[in-house]
Amino acid sequence: MVADERRLTATPLVLEACGLHKRFPGVHALTDVDLRLASGEILAVIGENGAGKSTLMKVLSGALAPDAGELRLDGRPLRLRSVQEALARGVALIHQELMLAGDLDVTANITLGREPRRFGFLDRRAAEELARRHLGELGLEVALDTPVSALALGQRQLVEIAKALATDARILIMDEPTSSLSATEATKLFDVMRALRRRGKSIIYISHRLGEVRGIADRVLVLRDGANAGELTAGAIEHDAMVGLMLGRCESVLRERAPRTHGPLALDVRGLRTAAYPTQAVDFSVAAGEFVGLAGLVGAGRTELLEAVFGIVPARAGTVRVAGRDVPRGSVAAAIAAGLALVPEDRKRHGLVLEQDVRANVSMVASTRRGGFGRRDRKAERDSARRAIDELGVRTRDDRTNVRTLSGGNQQKVVLGKWLAEPELRPRVLLLDEPTRGVDVGSKAEIYRLLDRLAADGMGILFASSEAEEVLALADRVLVLREGELTGVLGRDEASEEAILRLAAEPRASECSA
Amino acid sequence: MRTTESSRVRRFAIAALLVLAWACSASEQGADGKTVPRLAFVTNGVASFWVIAEKGARAAGKATGTKVSVHMPAEGIADQKRILEDLVTRRIDGIAVSPIDPANQTELLNATAARTNLITHDSDAPDSKRVCYIGMDNYAAGRSCGQLVKEALPDGGQVFLFIGRLEQDNARRRRQGVIDELLARSHDPARYDPPGQPLVGESYTILGTLTDQFDRAVGKANAEDALSKHPEVDALVGLFAYNPPLCLAALEQAGKLGEIVVIGFDEADETLRGIQDGTVYGTVVQDPYQYGYRSIAVLAALARGDRTLLPASGFIDIPARQIRAAEVDAFWADLRAKTDGR
Amino acid sequence: MKKILGILGLLIAICVFTSVASPYFLTAFNIENLLRRSALFGILSIGAGIVIMGRGIDLSIGSVVCLTGIVTPWLLTEHGWSVGPAVVVVLGLALTLGVAHGLLITRLGLQPFLVTLCGLLLYRGIARGLTADQTQGFRGEFAALRHLGNGRIPVPGSDSFALPVPCLIVGILAVGAAVLLHRTVYGRHLLAVGSNEEAARYSGIDTRRVTTVSYALCSLLAGLGGLLFVLDVGSAQPVDFGNFYELYAIAAAVLGGCSLRGGVGTITGILIGAAVMQVLRNMITLTDWIPDTVEYAVIGAVILAGVVVDELVKRWAAARARNLADTG
Repeated sequence: MVADERRLTATPLVLEACGLHKRFPGVHALTDVDLRLASGEILAVIGENGAGKSTLMKVLSGALAPDAGELRLDGRPLRLRSVQEALARGVALIHQELMLAGDLDVTANITLGREPRRFGFLDRRAAEELARRHLGELGLEVALDTPVSALALGQRQLVEIAKALATDARILIMDEPTSSLSATEATKLFDVMRALRRRGKSIIYISHRLGEVRGIADRVLVLRDGANAGELTAGAIEHDAMVGLMLGRCESVLRERAPRTHGPLALDVRGLRTAAYPTQAVDFSVAAGEFVGLAGLVGAGRTELLEAVFGIVPARAGTVRVAGRDVPRGSVAAAIAAGLALVPEDRKRHGLVLEQDVRANVSMVASTRRGGFGRRDRKAERDSARRAIDELGVRTRDDRTNVRTLSGGNQQKVVLGKWLAEPELRPRVLLLDEPTRGVDVGSKAEIYRLLDRLAADGMGILFASSEAEEVLALADRVLVLREGELTGVLGRDEASEEAILRLAAEPRASECSA
Repeated sequence: MRTTESSRVRRFAIAALLVLAWACSASEQGADGKTVPRLAFVTNGVASFWVIAEKGARAAGKATGTKVSVHMPAEGIADQKRILEDLVTRRIDGIAVSPIDPANQTELLNATAARTNLITHDSDAPDSKRVCYIGMDNYAAGRSCGQLVKEALPDGGQVFLFIGRLEQDNARRRRQGVIDELLARSHDPARYDPPGQPLVGESYTILGTLTDQFDRAVGKANAEDALSKHPEVDALVGLFAYNPPLCLAALEQAGKLGEIVVIGFDEADETLRGIQDGTVYGTVVQDPYQYGYRSIAVLAALARGDRTLLPASGFIDIPARQIRAAEVDAFWADLRAKTDGR
Repeated sequence: MKKILGILGLLIAICVFTSVASPYFLTAFNIENLLRRSALFGILSIGAGIVIMGRGIDLSIGSVVCLTGIVTPWLLTEHGWSVGPAVVVVLGLALTLGVAHGLLITRLGLQPFLVTLCGLLLYRGIARGLTADQTQGFRGEFAALRHLGNGRIPVPGSDSFALPVPCLIVGILAVGAAVLLHRTVYGRHLLAVGSNEEAARYSGIDTRRVTTVSYALCSLLAGLGGLLFVLDVGSAQPVDFGNFYELYAIAAAVLGGCSLRGGVGTITGILIGAAVMQVLRNMITLTDWIPDTVEYAVIGAVILAGVVVDELVKRWAAARARNLADTG
């Protein structure tokens, strides 16, 4: 605490929040929250699912008005009535859910809202100049006139960051900026953050990746149940300490576990060519009760592979067999009938119907298989929704709550619940695409435990993740992809972060010599 | 390889399109080549009245050896303008049109008359350079309808009028004829009583006039509303072909069929059946079949340079007839004979 | 440019087809007529396109056309106004209606479909009530003003052909709209709102103002279109003047490459889309073998076919690009 005080008096405070309260119907989202941010400081804000991080960020960026409490900018009281106002005062929020206009090109997005003008018209050259400069800082090389919708997810994230940089904001609020970045892209982003810090910018950084927090943060503010749970400064920022403050108890998320026993072949994929990488034929299999990790950088083709197996994007060639029976190519219904299930990467767009409640979402898959002259069995729907809530530990008021209001981790549990709600309809093989993206530590641990239990019950699991840590901890085998090519399969004892990276990274040397 | 193939496909598609277009243009010429005059019959909207006229026009086309096209503008005055322009573009040999708004269409009609033989039917545009007008004296027809009302209600009574729209000259005059006859006024086709307030005469009162703008649903609602607003009404007079059936439908719904008498215009099936059943006292019929037939006959003669069919007055009268219970069977049989087959 | 190739191809195909099928298609008289009609509908379509690019919809266009088409001659002939004030009042009225739509949609959060559907009913009803359903016309007067709608500008070197005045007007409007859309901050913001409204809002854009302005522009253009329509035709009937025009305008905009999901569209494409509709109807009247009664069916079928072919070509091109990328 002494070190903390000294630091704060040495550098002036730019932003202060005192006694913030925010109440939503049924939820006390923020209770007496304090936050201080010094100039040239990277402050990490961490906390469990529903701890109030998102609400706090919305208050700081002007998107929400607090019910009580005060904000101070440079020591003077600050009342933010809108995002515009916050931007004008130098506070910019970088959203986790990408806030980009997909039809507009890269330049237009980066300069959106503050377009350079000349004689009242758009100054395209100046805009491109600006865009090029900020993309250069992030090391992203894309054509400036590419529509953003044509970019990969990781690239879009970098455009979003470049957009915030272009505002010349003094305070940047980053909401899980690395959740869709590969390790190299994330490293580059941290370099940028450090450079910004040297230039006197202040950054509030929200992440669930505690390893990253340890590497980059000057100070960590921990929230729990909508209130301050404690702070850690430089030397004290350690994994266990953070988890301890977040959960209020000490618990290791990734426990050592005994090797699993595998059953017969559950999923067998031969010569699969995806539409995105039609030149690469991929062969692999997953046994019943086996946990297979799918690793690779952003753009390695993990999502495409899973979507081809599941039939959403029909494969160009190849066979998919589940429990020895061929699954017709390109039919999701057939894939589900055969016993496949997919938890998609973008849960808000592909995993959930955000406008509907938990019950409707959970019963969506089961209802298509129930038949009965198209009649919905309301009682069965209610029961399965309640069962899913109980078994998966979804934190929601009841099964009629709109899923939009749930936090990321709880939404993900609802997506899982969709597939697991009916015991007799459970899939043989569960395909998961980045299931812990944007999910806090507590929920992560719950999801890990759930998957572990499912594998123990004999379900085959194929798990794509860009977090090497979790792949290593969970998987019996690791498949590594690079640009659609299966570059290696690592057994449990050969798998390591280095081994994965070696297979996943581009073989630059050989390319030059060829 | 791929590009040559796609360009081949494209070339084939274009060739096929052109052959089709050529075939279509060839068919337009007709068997005898270019000597067949092409004539057009243009209405003022879409109605069953015009379907009978179309039959007359087509029968005349067959009789005179001409090629007849019939056009019913579905979107009002701008649509009629478009049709006339396109017909003129086609160098059509003659057009018979029922102008929607004669007072403001003079320019268009004159431009059309400058390029082809133009006659008006059903509704006249006396200020334009049309060659002649084929139709009925609507004022006289209106008075004749008024006579039927008097016969139906010899002791006087209260009357409600229903009509498609009042923008058209023919509609105004027709309505005025009924009013003037009931109020025992002098013969003056130029008189106009705006709708709205009741018109009270010695023994007859006109409670009001409602327009429906060719919308049948509105027409029926009008009749229903008039019945609920004026339960004391003695007769409903439907002045456009479809109005009497709508009046009958509204009366049936109100359970007042036969209690309140209907007097109609034109020869819708329901109207004629109503006369047979006694729910309609009578109707005044125009002869749309003759409008179509005479229009094309005159245009065919004009196209061949024969002006003998033109009267000096520029007006070919197709008089209206009164149809009561006594006349209805014979009239209906004749109508069926005329409309049987095209 | 690539986006309008499909619709341009459709227009050319219909023109080539009709010119072979009818010897009268390529006459100066017919071309003038088509240019004038396309120009008049083009004005409405630009407005519809602007709203659609901002991910809105305006169903009231036809009724605004009716209202201005009725009120203009009504003020001039029935009330003896002079031309200047009448035109200013009529266009001001249209602008006001558009602003009202925009405010109801953005401030009260009502759905655009609902607001403009009510507009559709409201303005036609007002026009009919105002005039007791009587036709409003110029009665052969106001020739100078009517020149704006039906006038022709002589083209040097040609006796038979002259450029219809509405073409000049739509040309100016199109250039203005294209500049607005692609060279001004407002246009950029409109496309951003259409593409992702939330993103635009979080970028500090006053999305409510952007949307309101788009509806205001749409109604203003509809009002101007109605004015020119009535100047061309000479009179208007409250009951059916401008009926369905909103659908023609929306169809032209969508044919011209505007996505109903917002965010994309070009003015050139919209104008070509408007022309396609007019040439189609012209084709049906000029060639005898399609009865007028199936006109709507033909228009619907051709538009649908155009959209289907466009989609197939896009997929084919995407597949080819992928194959080339694989082998290259």
